[in-house]
Amino acid sequence: MARTQALMLEIATGDARPISKQIVDGVRMKVATGELALGVQLPSVRGLAQQLGINPNTVAKAYAELTAEGWLESRQGLGLFVAPPRQRLSRAERDKRLDEAVSRFVHDVVALDLPADEVLVRLGLELQACAPKKTA
Amino acid sequence: MTVSDYVIQTRDLSKRYGSKLALRHLDLNVPRGRIHAIVGANGAGKSTLFRILLGFLPPTAGDARILGRDSQRLTPDDRGRIGFVNEEHTLPGWMSVQAITAAHRRLYPRWDQQLFDEVLGHYHVLPTQKVSQLSRGERAGFNLALALAQGPELLVLDEPTLGLDVVAKRAFLEALMYSNGSDDCTVIYCSHQMDEIERVADNLIILEQGELANMSPPEDFVARVTYWVADVPFKGPDPRTVPGLLQVQRLDGLHHYLVLDQDDSFADFLRAAGARSINSMPVGLDRAVNGFLAKNHAAPSAA
Repeated sequence: MARTQALMLEIATGDARPISKQIVDGVRMKVATGELALGVQLPSVRGLAQQLGINPNTVAKAYAELTAEGWLESRQGLGLFVAPPRQRLSRAERDKRLDEAVSRFVHDVVALDLPADEVLVRLGLELQACAPKKTA
Repeated sequence: MTVSDYVIQTRDLSKRYGSKLALRHLDLNVPRGRIHAIVGANGAGKSTLFRILLGFLPPTAGDARILGRDSQRLTPDDRGRIGFVNEEHTLPGWMSVQAITAAHRRLYPRWDQQLFDEVLGHYHVLPTQKVSQLSRGERAGFNLALALAQGPELLVLDEPTLGLDVVAKRAFLEALMYSNGSDDCTVIYCSHQMDEIERVADNLIILEQGELANMSPPEDFVARVTYWVADVPFKGPDPRTVPGLLQVQRLDGLHHYLVLDQDDSFADFLRAAGARSINSMPVGLDRAVNGFLAKNHAAPSAA
């Protein structure tokens, strides 16, 4: 039986990202890395709101977005759970976001004047570390 | 929406002090439910608005309704449906906590003792203590407990956390957001503290010189404001020609612009002004609101 798992999340006020967006990003990252495994139950809206010291409606909004994007699924009367993985974005949207991310990355890294192969090895390691852990 | 779906409704509301208009033809409709933050520079008309809404002050023109009633004709029963906490947390200093609590319990038919105890449980307040012996934070908590326990449909908080330390502030916000009494209650929250508003508010109302300047979720307002840095040559374009300008600064030879409601076409404007490097980024609530309020702030006219 699924139990609520602790959601180790920190939000910051004063950030250009609204708090609900920070929650969405945080949960997505945790699902993508497997820190929140398939079928795990998320904290209640009120519980997470109290943990973070924010308005419950903000949590509800973030949960709604995560559900609409297919990261979470709601089970009637039970709460919210991590949904089975499926590709949540269209190919075109993924290409667009990849382009943007690569462009940001290149902008930052090119100024460091490091050999490209060294950068690529490092990037490969970081991506590997983010891959879902198959064995637990 | 029908009339009763709004907790506050003002129509063409004006208030004049001598030759100065504190409220200018204000049309404000605040829907029932949720937490609404009201911000504005000093003198924007917030306090005047609250005084009129609570019936302490008559309007010069127009009308104001609170919970569907004319604010100038509130009955004691109407007042019982409205909770009010102000920044001074004024209560008679010589009275004990239990004496004041007993008086409120008699006064308000919907009094909820369990809720009162729950909210006051956030603070170390003894029933026998006199109000004058309480700290500012404890007085704020006691006031909030009294206001929530009366079972109001509308709770008006005027800078309730002003001067509270971090712990007292946190306790106050927790009591406000997570106690059971606040679920069916609409909260109007007046504050200058953006980090607090970001955590608390569903809706951001901005008053500016007695007029309504914004009414939307805080994140929608923030999305309207962007920050641009460009190497515009010389003194740059005349500020009066810059679209949506809130603030401009020249730092280390670069022009920094904070602008409202501008999309990527603002880059074209900068390019036309001779800029070669152009950068933009989103901003946080604090910068967005402060930039917005600073726009019409009184400044020497020589600029």
